[in-house]
Amino acid sequence: MQWSHAASSDDAAPLALAYQPCCLCGVEDGMPVAVGEDFEYHTSRDAFVAMRCGSCGLVYLNPRPADSELDRIYPPTYHAFQFNAENFGLAHRVRSRLEARRLLSYCRRLGDTPRILDVGCGDGFHLQLLSEYGRRGWKLEGVDASERAVQAARDAGLDIHLGTIESADLPANAYDLILLIATVEHVANPSAVLKAAAHLLKPGGHVVVVTDNTATLDFRLFGTRHWGGYHFPRHWNLFDKRSLRLLAQHAGLEVEMLSTALSPVNWVYSVRNRLVDRHAPRWLVERFSLKSPVSLGVFTVLDGILNALGRGALLKLVARKPRHTADAIQADRQPNQSAPVEVNGHA
Amino acid sequence: MNDALQKPVAVIGAGIGGLTAAHFLRRNGVPVMILEGGKQVAGMASSYVDDRGFHYDFGAHFITNRLAAAVGIGGQCRDVPYYGETFLVKGRQYSYPLGLLATPRYVVGALKAKIGGRQGEPRTAADWFRQEFGRTLADEVSLPILEAWSGAPADQLSAAVAQKLQNSIGRTIYLRFCSRLRRRAISIGYSQEMPEGPNVWHVYPEHGVSQVCERLLADLRDVVELESPVQQIIVENDRAVAIRAAGREREVSAVVSTVPAPILPKLVTGTDALEPLRQFRFRPMTFVCLRFEKRGILSDTVLWTAAAGFPFFRLTETPLSMPWLAPEGKTLITCDIGCQVGDEMWTMDDAALGDKCVDALESLYPGVRQHYSGCRVLRTPIAYPVYHLDYEEARQRFAAGTGVDNLYSIGRNGEFAHILMEDVYWRTIRKMNELLRKLRGAPPTPATAPRFTSAASGQLASV
Repeated sequence: MQWSHAASSDDAAPLALAYQPCCLCGVEDGMPVAVGEDFEYHTSRDAFVAMRCGSCGLVYLNPRPADSELDRIYPPTYHAFQFNAENFGLAHRVRSRLEARRLLSYCRRLGDTPRILDVGCGDGFHLQLLSEYGRRGWKLEGVDASERAVQAARDAGLDIHLGTIESADLPANAYDLILLIATVEHVANPSAVLKAAAHLLKPGGHVVVVTDNTATLDFRLFGTRHWGGYHFPRHWNLFDKRSLRLLAQHAGLEVEMLSTALSPVNWVYSVRNRLVDRHAPRWLVERFSLKSPVSLGVFTVLDGILNALGRGALLKLVARKPRHTADAIQADRQPNQSAPVEVNGHA
Repeated sequence: MNDALQKPVAVIGAGIGGLTAAHFLRRNGVPVMILEGGKQVAGMASSYVDDRGFHYDFGAHFITNRLAAAVGIGGQCRDVPYYGETFLVKGRQYSYPLGLLATPRYVVGALKAKIGGRQGEPRTAADWFRQEFGRTLADEVSLPILEAWSGAPADQLSAAVAQKLQNSIGRTIYLRFCSRLRRRAISIGYSQEMPEGPNVWHVYPEHGVSQVCERLLADLRDVVELESPVQQIIVENDRAVAIRAAGREREVSAVVSTVPAPILPKLVTGTDALEPLRQFRFRPMTFVCLRFEKRGILSDTVLWTAAAGFPFFRLTETPLSMPWLAPEGKTLITCDIGCQVGDEMWTMDDAALGDKCVDALESLYPGVRQHYSGCRVLRTPIAYPVYHLDYEEARQRFAAGTGVDNLYSIGRNGEFAHILMEDVYWRTIRKMNELLRKLRGAPPTPATAPRFTSAASGQLASV
C-alpha cells in the first residue's frame, strides 16, 4: 500500500489553500485539465488541479497554496535562488547569452537615459545582464517580494525595491520599460499586476511580458499531469496568446507584438516529471535537468523548430501605454480579487 | 453589493452537494446558511468503522485524485491500486471488457448490431443496449443487470439510463491497460461530467470518504445548522423568497436544495411547477456487508450476478481494491439487493439476510461459509433513481431546471441522477456559477465550461 505522493516525511502537513477565480473573467467557471503534484521539490504531499477558464482559456491553479505558504513552496534550494555559473555551468553561460540578446532587443527604441523596472527580478539575473550588455545611461531597478532574493540582488550592487509592484512605493508615470519575465505565472492576480505596471509606465512606455505558453505541443503531450509549465504548485496562471492579449487589454495597454519564443525548459521538466511520477531510476531522471546539456540541446533544437512554426514554449508580449490616456488608465470592468503576491519568478 | 447578495442563500442538506454549493458561494462573497435535518453532516458520503476494524462506506466507495485535489485533500489520500469487474453469466465468469470480447457470440452479435446501423434514436433502455451491444450481450448481460438494479423491465426504462456510458470499447481497453501498467485504478466510466484519462484515478481518503465533506465543512462550521429540517420553501411570483425551518421563517435570495426530487414538491408552496416530480421513483436497496475471516474470495473487486438468479445482483469485495478497509487477511463482501420498502428482503432480520446471502455465495464459492463471521445491513429507500418512461418527459424538463428561477435542486438525490461524488461536485459548481451570475445581476453567459461529451458507447459496467 502506498501513499499517493512521494515526499519527504517532514512535508507531511497539508498546505493551506486558497480558491481563486479566473483573473480575467472574475469567475471560477472552468474545466479541470490537469491534476499534479510538486514533482520537482516535493514541498508537500498535496495534489493540485489546473482549471481552464471556459470563457478566456486561461489555465489557473484552483485551489492554489495560500499566500502564507510561499516560504514553503519556494524552498531555499529553489533554482531561481541558485541559478549561477557555479551551479549551472554551460547552461548558465548559454542562457545568459540568449537572454541578453533577447533583452537588448526590447531596449532598441529607448532614449538615452531610460528608466527600466524588472518586476519579480529575483536575484537580479536580468538586471545584471542589462547592466553588463546595455548602455551606460540606463537606470535599472528591480522589485521583488522575496527578502532572500532582494538581498542577493542588492549584494550584487543592484537597485532593488522590496515588495510587490502594487505595494512597493514606486513612482507613477515614471518608467520607460517594465519587464515581467517569468513573473505573471507566479502571481495570484496577473491582471492587477499588469494594471499596476501600466500605472507606473510613462505614456508611450512599454511593458514586456514573457511567460509559459499553453498552446504548444509539449502542453498537448503532457498537459494532463506532467507538463513542466505547471511547475506545481508555483505557477498559478498560465496563458495562451488569446488570454495574454486579454490580460494586456484589461490593463489598458495596446498590444504591439505578441509572438512565441524558444525555450527547452518545459520540455525537459515535462519528461523529468513523467519519469519521477513513474518512479524511474535516478540516473535516468538526472538526464533531464537544467544541468544536462544534452537534453537542453535536443529540446532547444526541437523547440526551435516549433517556434519557427509559431508554437514556441514561451509567449512574448510587448505592449504600450497609450499616450493620450496619460495617467488615466481606465479601470477594468472585471472585479479584482484578493491582493496578489509576488515572488521571484525565473522558472 | 446588490440587494440579492445581502440576503443569504439557503442550502438545504449538508452532504457533498450542499457543502460544495455553500463553499463555492461563500468563497465568492455570497452569504449562506446550511440547514441540515440530521445530527451530522456528510449525507450519503459517510463512513463507519466498527470495533473489529472493518470499514463500511455508505453510498460512495472511492473518489478520484481530481476531486481530492479540488477540495484540498489530495495529500491525504491513498492510491487505489486496482479495480476490476467481472460478469457471471450462465455459470461462467467473464472479465470486463476482455473476457466478454473473447466470447465469439457476444462479438458477433455486437458486430451485427454495428453493421446493421441504428434504426432511429432508441427510446427505451432495452432498445439502446440491443442497438449498441447486440441482442446477445444485451439480453444475457446488460439488461438483467439493469432490471435488477432498477426493478422495472428494460423496455419501460428510458434510453437515458445509458447516458453515463461515455467511453468507447477501445478507450476502455486502453485505460485498463494503463491501469495495470501503473498499478493505479484509473477512473473508467466513473465521471460523465469531466473527461477521464490515464491521469485521473481512484484514491481513498485516509479517514474515509467522509473526509471530502469534513474538509469543506471546516470552512463552513459557523453557517451549518444541524437538526434543522426545512419545513417549507416559500415561492412567490415564481421566485423562492423565504424558507421556514424550526418554525421560523427567514428571507432568502435563493434556495439550493439537496432534498430528494420527489419530496421537494412537498416542501414548496406558492407554485405547482414542481408537482410532476412527485411521480419520480427511487429504487430502494438493501446492502448486506458480509465479514469473512479470509481474503480474496471473489476473483475481481466486483462480480455482477444479475443473470444468475441470486437474491443479489452485485457482489463487491472492496478490500481487493482497498486492502485497508478490512483487517489483514480478512475481507468484506457487500451484496446489493434491489427491493421495495416493506417487502421480504426489506423486512428480513439482519442475521437471516446474512445467512441467505452466504447460502447463495456458498453455491458460487463452496466452503466460504466456514469463514463467515457476521454481517452489517444498510437499507435505503432512495438508492437509485429509476428513469421510467412514465415520467421521462417530466424528468428531462427537471434536468434543465426546477421551473423556479432561484431554486436549484442539486446532488445525487436532488438531481434525480445516478451520479457519483465527483460528478456531484462539478455539476454543483456549474449550477452555482449560474446562480452566482444571477445574484450578481450579470446576464447569463452561454460560454461557460463546455460539458464533456463523447459518443455513448461501450462500458457495460457500473450502472
